[in-house]
Amino acid sequence: MSEQKRRNTSSVILREVAESSLDPATGTQDDREETGQSEPLQIQMNWFLRAFSNERWQFISIPLLSILVSLIAISIMLGIMGSNPFNVFITFLQGAGWIMRPVYAGGYGQLSDLSNTLTAFTPMLFAALAVTIAFRGGLFNIGISGQMLISGFLASVIVGYSGLSAFVAKPLVLLIGMAAGAAVGGLIGFLKYRFNINEVVASIMLNYILQYAVSYFIKIHFLDQISRQSRVVSQASMLVLSDTKVGGVYVSIPLCFILALLVAVALQFFLKKTRLGYEIKAVGANRRAAQYSGIRVRRTILVTMMLSGALAGLAGVSYYLGYFNSIEPGALTSLGFDSIATALLGNAHPLGAIASSFLITTLDTGGTYMQSMMGVRQEIAQLVTGMILLFSACSAFFRWRIALSRQKAEMRAREAAASGGPGGCGPEVEVSVQGGDVQ
Amino acid sequence: MPDTDVIVEMRHITKRFPGIVANDDISLQIHTGEIFAFAGENGAGKSTLMSMLFGMYQPDEGEIWVRGKRVDISSPNEAVALGISMVHQHFKLVRNYTVAENIVLGIEPVTRLLGLIPYVNMRPVNKAVRELSERYGLEVDPTSVIEDLPVSTQQRVEILKMLYREAEILIFDEPTAMLTPQEISYLLDIIRKLREDGKTIILITHKLEEIKQVADRCAILNHGKLIATMDVATSSTRDMASKMVGREVIFEIDKTPARPGPVVLEVSDLTVENEHGVDVTQDVSFQIHAGEIFAIAGVAGSGQVELADAVAGLSPVKTGAVLLEGRDITRMLVRPRTLKGVSYIPEDRQDVGLILDFLLEDNLASKSYFKAPFSQHSILHKDAFDAYADDLIRRYDIRCSSGALTLTRSMSGGNQQKAIVAREVEQDARLMIFVQPTRGLDIGAILAIRRRMIEERDKGRAILLVSLELDEILAVADTIGVMFAGRMLKVAPADQMTREEVGEYMMGVKHA
Amino acid sequence: MSAVNTIIIDGLALALPLLVIAIGGIFSERSGIINLALEGLLGFGAFCGALFAYSCVAFHWFAPDSLAPMYLSFIVAAAGGALFAVIHAMLCVKFRANQVISGVVINILSVAMTGFLTSQINKTVFSGPSSRFDLMTAPRLTVPVLSKIPVLGAVFTRFYPFEVLILILLVVFWFILYRTRFGIHVRAAGDNPQALDAAGIEVSRVRFVAVLISGALAGIGGMCFAYSIFSYFSGAIYLGYGYLAIAALIFGNWKIMPTFAACLLFGFAQSGASQLVLLLKVNSSVGDLAMIVPYALTLILLAFFSKHNRAPRSLGEIYDKSKR
Repeated sequence: MSEQKRRNTSSVILREVAESSLDPATGTQDDREETGQSEPLQIQMNWFLRAFSNERWQFISIPLLSILVSLIAISIMLGIMGSNPFNVFITFLQGAGWIMRPVYAGGYGQLSDLSNTLTAFTPMLFAALAVTIAFRGGLFNIGISGQMLISGFLASVIVGYSGLSAFVAKPLVLLIGMAAGAAVGGLIGFLKYRFNINEVVASIMLNYILQYAVSYFIKIHFLDQISRQSRVVSQASMLVLSDTKVGGVYVSIPLCFILALLVAVALQFFLKKTRLGYEIKAVGANRRAAQYSGIRVRRTILVTMMLSGALAGLAGVSYYLGYFNSIEPGALTSLGFDSIATALLGNAHPLGAIASSFLITTLDTGGTYMQSMMGVRQEIAQLVTGMILLFSACSAFFRWRIALSRQKAEMRAREAAASGGPGGCGPEVEVSVQGGDVQ
Repeated sequence: MPDTDVIVEMRHITKRFPGIVANDDISLQIHTGEIFAFAGENGAGKSTLMSMLFGMYQPDEGEIWVRGKRVDISSPNEAVALGISMVHQHFKLVRNYTVAENIVLGIEPVTRLLGLIPYVNMRPVNKAVRELSERYGLEVDPTSVIEDLPVSTQQRVEILKMLYREAEILIFDEPTAMLTPQEISYLLDIIRKLREDGKTIILITHKLEEIKQVADRCAILNHGKLIATMDVATSSTRDMASKMVGREVIFEIDKTPARPGPVVLEVSDLTVENEHGVDVTQDVSFQIHAGEIFAIAGVAGSGQVELADAVAGLSPVKTGAVLLEGRDITRMLVRPRTLKGVSYIPEDRQDVGLILDFLLEDNLASKSYFKAPFSQHSILHKDAFDAYADDLIRRYDIRCSSGALTLTRSMSGGNQQKAIVAREVEQDARLMIFVQPTRGLDIGAILAIRRRMIEERDKGRAILLVSLELDEILAVADTIGVMFAGRMLKVAPADQMTREEVGEYMMGVKHA
Repeated sequence: MSAVNTIIIDGLALALPLLVIAIGGIFSERSGIINLALEGLLGFGAFCGALFAYSCVAFHWFAPDSLAPMYLSFIVAAAGGALFAVIHAMLCVKFRANQVISGVVINILSVAMTGFLTSQINKTVFSGPSSRFDLMTAPRLTVPVLSKIPVLGAVFTRFYPFEVLILILLVVFWFILYRTRFGIHVRAAGDNPQALDAAGIEVSRVRFVAVLISGALAGIGGMCFAYSIFSYFSGAIYLGYGYLAIAALIFGNWKIMPTFAACLLFGFAQSGASQLVLLLKVNSSVGDLAMIVPYALTLILLAFFSKHNRAPRSLGEIYDKSKR
């Protein structure tokens, strides 16, 4: 029972991302059950299909395949450009602090790099979770950047420039961040709820509005004339303990790192085991059916967007009062958009988001060192991400093809069994994609 | 008859789908200028067979011969080139295009603007379509837009499409499923006229009366096998029916007279508007008593589905009132209505009744997940979901591959409907709403659901049935209400109305 | 020059490139394919066009003051945009990907690829450390007599050559969408692809071509920005105008002429707001507040009009031939 359970849950998750409209594999199960044929069939498949046809592992095997294929593609490209791809990937890992660099500057060590990676990881994970929950609720929050900006800005203004002590300031920063993000997310939800405005369009418009509004206020009231950024926030309000000496090297300790991991686990529990989680998933999977079963769809959309906004707010404060300590006026962070990639790579799954956030931030923070060592532009990091995403976007197709091939193999096996001859000598049979739909 | 008369011949056709043999070694001949019917239950393989003639599938074994030549029809295009056309159950019409635009789709005539720039010129098409329509008495205006037309007219647009393409062999797939008796006889007249004009007609249906009325010969399929090909004139309906089902059939279901109790549902002057602000029901009033089946008849789009939605709370009421056991529920949300005793089996089982990407257990509990034992302090208890689902699966005989944890999408349509019925019956509601509960199911399942309705009625529930199938309404209803264009034209006890009378109200011809 | 003139001139210079991108989006979405990829397509198109124009100058393919590189670069940009759109078309039509995801992926890929290639090509081919391709600014034209008409004369004053091109494209693509066989097939594919298939037309091919058209037109739009707002190509081109074009076409209810109106409204709101700031002679930071106006206006108007919007019926659905 528990095995079946796991398999089915994972396929639900996959499907929600893929939105594939039919599933021949399961169709086959149904038919077999209807025709009462249950003996195990000798299915002949090549190694590739066998490796990826296990639905239970598809949620991990297919992203891994995507990553592998894109790494190979990039390696070929690097080879053509005359760089050793292996060394490039090693320097990425060295730059991100996962393995030792050969040489460190004074006062810096592997721990410095790693802490830097974790500092970048924290807002990325929050943002990816924000995308994830919206996605599970059938919504597309493309306005993460704007929500991050307003959260970071308000937290800076209210707490960052006050003299509050660290014990008051830090929790307050988190609260303000969540509230501001939830307010903007809620506004997007409200515009959809009340006026039927597409959330993608509303998010984009709000991104611009927030970007210019924040820029105006920073320029008028909070500008540091030298850096042309907003004034630096107080140490007490920062969510990162920067330049702390640990074991003789400088590190920045991301205070919210553990919090981000906990939130991811909590979100997983929330989606799986709570009433509201059930309702959000129901609305995400089928709004009409959700309404029919008595769920208040529009309210759920509003709540989903508020939760997504609150998570984006956490990303905002851990970015602007953590990874950075000031705000550049007139700019949105690209992290808000990259987090969409991260969430998709994580299969719109909270725990998947942890893994993909590690991958993306490693590519990001390791890039500078890689460029300095290998002479390959660090923009290649984004290219790797883009390629991985490209291949994972095809994953619905992979799954569909795999299911189709398995169906064909099963057919052949069954025919062979029926004719009594050795497998594979029956005529090639055309198989309809639409398994059970005969009438 | 000499062989030159044979226009279509199928020789030893076999078609397999994974797990099912849809057509098993079928051989038959169809003659020029006859009306040839295929009869059989849902799933007997008649649509599959004709889909192969129309090029949508290819046979695994066997040969198709058309006009004495062996043909491989690998796409609908090739079928059309052979003069074969098909009216599908679901019309293939672009809804925001005009009739004429739909008819010429794919073969649009091109004129050159200034002798240079090619553009589509609709003027000659409109003229040609109007002429065709008049010639066959189809009464279709080529310039009207599809979405403004009733279903029966849309069907005639499909017929015009075939005629415009000069098809010789016309396949009709269940053409009468959505029509009133009057519309059916109008359609059958058209079909006869087409035969007089020398066309060959292939009719796929499970309604034997129609075959009896119009067809010359009839092939009966059961579980993919050809049981018999018979001359309609010399065969009895009863004989055909038993061949079709493979046993003697009892169409009648036992039904004792209703013993109505107090009023459960009272709808008064109900007006509902759709999202475009159009009134889809107007001042509808009726009552349903405990222990009574109230059936609403009407052609598709008469407002009956919107009425059911409004009673269930799925769409807002503009004016009027809905009372459940005397309590006003007009403005109540869906959830409290459910709790007060309204259960609802919706028309669209895959898009409304179920969340296909959820597990079966999650769907079975979708109207009770928020209550104990499924949920306590907002935390869900999956064990309760499992146990409840296992119980329902057993008691309602829901077939599913992995039990409670089956992905709902993978289940067959009939079992999906069983799951919905199980869930809704378990609500123990005062009022049960059934909308098109048997659409697309086979005879066994249809009878089971109709019996279930009567059973629930006998337990003292009030039943509201909305159906487009007049047979169904006449089989189970205690009281019939007929809707036309959003209005309730007539409400009367079922035994006081004839089939024809109901049909006349459905067409809006007769007024109370 | 009067403020009104400037508003009209600047407004058109923004509205028309936006329009050409939005027309591309209309083709894609009317055929049933959601196109969030416009942003990435316009960027990649502009990258290709700019690379071409930059090469022309660097390798002296034309006389130094020739305008030919500029005109040709629009063709290259269209080709580049179409080429990149092949990915979106493949993913959505053949690989059954979620169209929203595919769009986002293409945007990310486009930013990454053009960023990487720009600096890598600058380094290896042109031996410069730059992360951009410098271009000229497009010349501005004025029609002698017509420009003297009061107020409306501004339409014929100091316009970019590409604005004329876009107006021609507007007429051509309006005609294609509403009057040709292909256009009829595109709109049918977005409403009821089964009907189109039954009529013997390959739905996937229609959709494929429609997406390619959206790429080509977005590429042209991107090139316009490279020659007007920026006078160079760099990552800065990803300003979000692709998304704005999507807002415009939704606002325009997926129809070309109403979308034209939406683009004009947006362009004039933008230029009007910045003129206002200039006239009031306030702190230049207030310019930021003025920049809010077009976006806020769009949002408010959407609130009024979204209720009556009707998206193409099959928008976003994967078309499955075998499904009946």
